[in-house]
Amino acid sequence: MSEGANILLWGIDHHRAPTEVRERVHISSEAASVLIAALSRENGFVSCVPVSTCNRTEIYLEARPAFHAHEALSRALGEAGLDPLIFTGEYGLRLQGREAMAHLYRVASGMESMMLGEPQIAAQLKDAYRQAKEHHELGPVIMRAFQGAFRAGKCVRTQTKIGAGAVSVAFAAVELARKFFANLSDHRALLVGAGETGALAARHFLQHGIGGLTVVNRSPERALDLAADLNGGKGELVRARPWEDLGASLVDADVVLTTTGAVEPVIMPDMVKTALKGRRGRPLFLLDIAVPRDVHPDVGSIEGVYVFGLDDLDGIVQSNLAARRQEIPRAEAILTAELNEFQGWIQDMDLRPSVDEFRSYLEDLKDKQVGWVRKKESDEVASAVDRSLQQFIKKVLGRSMASLKNAETQEERLQHLSTLHSLFGDGSDDHS
Amino acid sequence: MEVWTGLTTVLLPLLYLVLWGSYVWFFVAERNLARSWSRMLTGGTLLVHIIHITLRTVDLGRLPLATPLEFCSMLALMIMVIYVILERMLRVRVTGALVVGLAFILQFIASAFHSPSDSVNSLLGDPGYAVHALLVLLSYTSLSLSFLFAVIYMVQSRQLRRHTFGLLFRRLPPLETLERMSVGTVRLGVPLLFSALVMGHMWLYNLRDSLPPQQADLLSPYDPKILVSWLILLGYTAGLYGHAKLGWRGRRMNVVAITAWVTVVVTMGLLHHFVPSFHDFTLRSGV
Repeated sequence: MSEGANILLWGIDHHRAPTEVRERVHISSEAASVLIAALSRENGFVSCVPVSTCNRTEIYLEARPAFHAHEALSRALGEAGLDPLIFTGEYGLRLQGREAMAHLYRVASGMESMMLGEPQIAAQLKDAYRQAKEHHELGPVIMRAFQGAFRAGKCVRTQTKIGAGAVSVAFAAVELARKFFANLSDHRALLVGAGETGALAARHFLQHGIGGLTVVNRSPERALDLAADLNGGKGELVRARPWEDLGASLVDADVVLTTTGAVEPVIMPDMVKTALKGRRGRPLFLLDIAVPRDVHPDVGSIEGVYVFGLDDLDGIVQSNLAARRQEIPRAEAILTAELNEFQGWIQDMDLRPSVDEFRSYLEDLKDKQVGWVRKKESDEVASAVDRSLQQFIKKVLGRSMASLKNAETQEERLQHLSTLHSLFGDGSDDHS
Repeated sequence: MEVWTGLTTVLLPLLYLVLWGSYVWFFVAERNLARSWSRMLTGGTLLVHIIHITLRTVDLGRLPLATPLEFCSMLALMIMVIYVILERMLRVRVTGALVVGLAFILQFIASAFHSPSDSVNSLLGDPGYAVHALLVLLSYTSLSLSFLFAVIYMVQSRQLRRHTFGLLFRRLPPLETLERMSVGTVRLGVPLLFSALVMGHMWLYNLRDSLPPQQADLLSPYDPKILVSWLILLGYTAGLYGHAKLGWRGRRMNVVAITAWVTVVVTMGLLHHFVPSFHDFTLRSGV
């Protein structure tokens, strides 16, 4: 291993830096390549993983004590065309060791995300890790750290509800519709208005499998264009109807999204009452996301009609965020357990060279003994002795590892290691 | 035998209580552990309950359905059986917090006030009675569950209408699913009730031949309970027709389900207390 290797983190994120600062330190794929190449020339550098998303830019490094982080990173960032002062100034986050690891684990689990528990960050981290591996060979500590972070993130997502419920307005609209309809594919939506907001909401419903969509707009050309755009050249899931058919369209649709720029309501109580006669008792879910409102306030009091607005969607988002926040203690407990496991692995790393020397000494002895038996006895006997001694070595090594791990103080541990090294090492160097 | 019956009598309400707790836990926190617990406990509780009923049947030489307490225990079992079938079909577990709660209360009453049975008519050992009584119980359990799902529908509908996005909003299933559960249990209950009534009529005519004339005279197909049951059957069939053909959906359909069940309970209660009927199998009256 990289003896005495440590994990370092230099970063900028949405908690500390505004967008205009974050965009100045965004690391493109080319910049990441230059950065890694520049760092590779620095003394004590082992490997690094640059992570850059819209909410954070973070550089995770594995380095030996000889690595002078400030100077080396400043030089490398400068070469990659990034301003190192942003990282070292008031917006910068600089951590090392367990703190850096804890941050990585929290990022991977969505705990540091702008929308608590959002899942995209896990995929972004995996991409960054894969790209870094393509550029250079990663050190064992950083590899283990990222794999541990991915596992911790997965545990947090599967064992807690930190990612449950919609936390965006568009997804909240779908979630609300799902409180009416078990399967959206059995229902049709109606989009009133062909603006950008409506198109975005419609796309969300299509992504979540709505059975069909009708676009109604005052300008029929725009309705046709949007329908064609939403269909994307595939099928006839989305169709356009003229403005005059608005009332008739209410008969077929179960989900109605209204987003026109009209100054007066366009969906009136009489229109809805007439439509209800043809709906055979099916409830009608109206989502009015226009300002001023498109649905007349009296429509909400009609039996079988449910009207919601932007404030309601925001209410759902806030309620879901509050529910996610309640999961933080459970998520923290999972992360602490995972971090402790990683910490244990790091601590065991210094045992490995001495234990390997001990193992190799024992295996040499075993081979000599088995060779001697093979000369005197049959192959079967020699194989049996070989297996038996293999078991013996395993037990001795297991016991030795346990004693080293259980040393009460670091001094005691180093003393044990030193003894092992002096007894069984090749004497070529001193263990420190 | 008595030891085992006594043991299951004590064990059952405890099992139902733990099962209810796991369903409530799942409703509130949606933990996977709660889901696994409720699944395991459901199987275990049903098994113990079936063993209990079997032991009681062997012990008494008849189905344990003659007294209100026996009826409560059997009703709890039927509720669980039908609910488990529905839960598996529709993959909706959250309503279990309410249904299992009801089953627990019924079994708790049955076990807490358990006493040696009153003398009952020997006819209750007849296999015809067993089939008829079980069908009646299953059908009314289905209709009761329909009522329960309709109530949950009204609660969720109210949450949505008031724009209240709390725990109930998050955890209760969609209105469409609740309506499907409510209508689905009626679809199950109607043929069961029809079969129970047909079976009852057939058993009634068989009994006439085997009873002394004085007792046989009391048996009548025009017994008020039988007539009301036919009316209930007609009412629920009309409800299903309205749902399928007349567009009785949403809130209206669920109001119909609630009204129908309340009417059934009130009518049957009044008949039981004020109108003489041969449907009383203790030796105090009836056949």
